[in-house]
Amino acid sequence: MLVLKLIQSLFKALHSEGTPGQLAAGLALGSILGLTPLFNLHNAVVFALIMLLNVSFAGAMLGWALFVPVGFLLDPAFDWVGRTLLLETPVLRPLWTALYNAPVVPLTNFNNTIVLGSLVFALVAWLPLYLASRWGVVRYRVTVAERVKRSALYRSVVASKLYNLYRLFRPEA
Amino acid sequence: MRVAVFRWKAIGPLSLLGAAVLGLWLVFADPIAKRSAESVGTTLVGAEVAIERLHLDLAHGRVEIHGLTVASPFEALQNLFHADALVADLDPLPLLEKKVVIDRLTATGLKFGTPRLTDGRTGGRSDGVIGQVTRWGEQLRVPALALPPGKISAARLDPAQLTTPRAAAALGARADSARQAWDAQLKGLDVAATVDSARQMVERLRGAKATDVKLLGDARRTLGQLKQAQDRVAALERSATSGIAALQAGAAGLTAAKQRDYATARGLLKLPGFEAPDIGAALFGSAAVDRFQRALYWVELGRRYMPPGLLPRATPGPKRARRAGATVRFPREHEEPAFLLKTAELSVQLGAAGTAPRTYAASVSGVTSDPALYGRPATASATAPSFRLGALLDHVQPTPRDTATASLAGVALPPLSLPSLPIRLEPGAGTVALSFAVHGDEVRARWTMQSDRVRWTRDSSGAATPSPIGDLIWHVVSGIPTLAVSASLSGSLARPQLAISSNLDRAVAERLRAVAGAEVAAAERRVHAQVDSLVDGQVAPVLAKVTALGGDVARRLGGERAQLDDARKALEQRLRELTRLPGVRLP
Repeated sequence: MLVLKLIQSLFKALHSEGTPGQLAAGLALGSILGLTPLFNLHNAVVFALIMLLNVSFAGAMLGWALFVPVGFLLDPAFDWVGRTLLLETPVLRPLWTALYNAPVVPLTNFNNTIVLGSLVFALVAWLPLYLASRWGVVRYRVTVAERVKRSALYRSVVASKLYNLYRLFRPEA
Repeated sequence: MRVAVFRWKAIGPLSLLGAAVLGLWLVFADPIAKRSAESVGTTLVGAEVAIERLHLDLAHGRVEIHGLTVASPFEALQNLFHADALVADLDPLPLLEKKVVIDRLTATGLKFGTPRLTDGRTGGRSDGVIGQVTRWGEQLRVPALALPPGKISAARLDPAQLTTPRAAAALGARADSARQAWDAQLKGLDVAATVDSARQMVERLRGAKATDVKLLGDARRTLGQLKQAQDRVAALERSATSGIAALQAGAAGLTAAKQRDYATARGLLKLPGFEAPDIGAALFGSAAVDRFQRALYWVELGRRYMPPGLLPRATPGPKRARRAGATVRFPREHEEPAFLLKTAELSVQLGAAGTAPRTYAASVSGVTSDPALYGRPATASATAPSFRLGALLDHVQPTPRDTATASLAGVALPPLSLPSLPIRLEPGAGTVALSFAVHGDEVRARWTMQSDRVRWTRDSSGAATPSPIGDLIWHVVSGIPTLAVSASLSGSLARPQLAISSNLDRAVAERLRAVAGAEVAAAERRVHAQVDSLVDGQVAPVLAKVTALGGDVARRLGGERAQLDDARKALEQRLRELTRLPGVRLP
């Protein structure tokens, strides 16, 4: 089921009316949801951005789905990054202390090694991911998109009910 | 084509989603908070924390908890306490900083040690603070009294543990090298050549005249050589004498080494201690260590979650599908602590022996995650006719000081099973007191238990198998109606020292000594014989070698000295005969 949804997201995103930039921005924003622990305040902000900004919603869902396992795999690295930033970088300690004692900010759990490490990684990776995925979408649409559109698999996916739901949030050209 | 940046039509669905999330939170806030409180409490205490119902009333800054049960981290089927209801008045503003400041907490219906149906302990006995305290307690454990039926057994004696064979081998090697050295030196003296030369000179002097000055000069040189040879022999004799004396001292050292080996072998005997302090420790050491371990557990928890100072502190992050990581707190002066319970008023239910439970008041104050920020120590106190408790956890200064005293009087004391013995002690109504103070790494603690109406019963639960020593102890203690136990702990936490005494010690020790003395002596004889069999075969040849070497060297040196003496006498005699001639005077 999960794989099917992933394929649906992939097809919908790649063949949407959105520009490659919208699709890539959605995918990069969705990657933040996947890379960082989901139930955190910053992800509410990211989700709001995905809905409010004219980016591909399907691309965001695809990015989320694709990067959840990556997040699990990279957790040890995130822990190391977070630990280094929070505990082993004295120059940053005043910043963390100020944020920790500021209203609302502690509710983001920024002081958790996994949350901070994964968020920093996701933010750093955002631009490269955006550029790479935009290039990839352009290449896909130029080369194999038409053939895929004619395939039976694509038609069955597009005909599914989920597709109708997706159309509500498709990017505006 | 220009693409719009914002998707304005999403504002509606987003608002709806936000409203839905808010609605869901309002509906599920109580269960979520309940689950969070249970999870955090379980992590903190190291035992299951269960809440029947929790209600968040953020509008009034109030949290109500009903049916709070905290399992004991020590006993499987016992609760640490159960509270019917807790009401906490929260300061709402710190919640925005994810800080919990409770101005006032009231707890009603607090009952301690209530039974439970399932094991509420979490984690293994080797994990976390409980593991740390368990390992600490293990170094204080005293072997239980044990008098095995029949012969007292001993662990296998490993010859490598014995020192005498190694010492004997070393002494034998020293004797061999001394013999070689002395042989070489004797040969180097070449006494035979000197003596032969002297004898030839005597022969030459027989036909000599007193006027043969050259011959007389040769004779005097030969006499000088004889004297030098005598001096060298005397020097070698002195050296040999001291060397022999050193070897004989080494031989005497073998006797001392053998005594040490006897002691090593005796240590392998599985003997009970027969001194009174040993008896007290064996009978009540386990109970005392358990009490001290529990006190230390709370002290260590306090030190872990209420650390002194303002440095960043990492604690395990929240449990989730992803890694928990570590959550780091960054306390800052003049800010609120992450957690603070300013005051708590507790209504405690206690029951004296044979009476219905009565309600007493207790109070707690200053419990905080950042004592340096709060600036005051955490205190707890409770007073009742039969109960007194006072505790102070002062982590404001860099070196934490934790003290607690508690006493119960006239209360039915819990029964106690004597370790490894099928005997159960029911102290009845008595007095028990515990004081525990840890200053930095130094610990000073005392546990006492007194009762005038002790009841002893044979424990048929099967926890301890019947044994001769069980019968013996039973005969001694079953007639003693009173009990007074005192255990004290001192020293550093890393190297604590436990001392335990009771009114049973002397009676049990004397009885044990009378019954087991003969058997112990026989066991000691057996291990001595075992040591002899392993040691004597290696020691005897070495001793013989040292003795023979001493005699041999003395005999050979004596022989050499006698030859030189004889030759010198003969030469001097001949020279005197020559020098008796009138008118001749030797130069």
